[in-house]
Amino acid sequence: MAVKIRKKQVEAQAVNRPRKAKFQADIAPAEDRTVRLLKSELQLTSNTDFFSDAIALFRWAVSERKLGHRIVSEGASGERRVLVFPRLERVAPSLALPRVEIKWTERELESLAALSSAPDENPPTEALIRALRD
Amino acid sequence: MAIVIRCLEGRDDVEHFDCGDEPLNNYLKRHAWNNQEKSSIGISYVAVDEGASRVLGYFTLAMASVPREAFPKKYVRGLPPYDLPLILLARLAVDRRFAGRGLGRALISEAFRISLRAADDVGCRCIVTDAYRDRISWYAQYGFVPIEGTAENGPQRMFLDLRTVRAALRP
Repeated sequence: MAVKIRKKQVEAQAVNRPRKAKFQADIAPAEDRTVRLLKSELQLTSNTDFFSDAIALFRWAVSERKLGHRIVSEGASGERRVLVFPRLERVAPSLALPRVEIKWTERELESLAALSSAPDENPPTEALIRALRD
Repeated sequence: MAIVIRCLEGRDDVEHFDCGDEPLNNYLKRHAWNNQEKSSIGISYVAVDEGASRVLGYFTLAMASVPREAFPKKYVRGLPPYDLPLILLARLAVDRRFAGRGLGRALISEAFRISLRAADDVGCRCIVTDAYRDRISWYAQYGFVPIEGTAENGPQRMFLDLRTVRAALRP
């Protein structure tokens, strides 16, 4: 009887323990070489540690960019280089596009008003979906 | 070759850009940087080879709005009681040496993403562009529709509802 209780406790612990997610990626040979080189330079022995550090760095970069901070490296002589990473720019706040005036004809304004006041949007085209999801 | 799309910078090599259209070449070489930095009348985004600064393609965005009172009265009822904010896709061009490699698609894709961000930040209803006549079908494939009343001999003004762009992201 005691054995059964112990077994149940062990099973319960196993159920409550958060499962580790597995991550698998197909990477190009050049990227594979880069990963190996970086692991060597950083003295990391496992892919798990490498991935964990990469996530930490990426998370920091995203949080900084979300605050509107630019990520800059500065050389010994004071030369600065700004990190430009398009995906990070997507989380940056306060996009400021300048305003311009556009000239419209009466007929164009009629057409624009008709298109803009449509109650529902047109469904996206396949090309648009692919452009945004790929 | 890894391409990145980012804001135009003063050090970028624009002098070798050639899309085959002189006004578009000229805008990038002579006006884009000044318009962006000094006049603030358009932000240009460039595709460059990662680590290099040679421009392979670009597009320019600006915000605009149509005053409510400018619309014909019979349409005003269907519109909200405010000016209509929109994004102008002012220019989009690819160097002809890199044409046919999907760079135009990458550029317009980024223009859509930036437009969505602008809409999230400041509110915006649609994207408008003036397309060359031989490029109408290229824009139409992404859902742009012609705005009626454009002069026959000039570019075709086209409209894309940002709700449609947003819908494209929904699974």
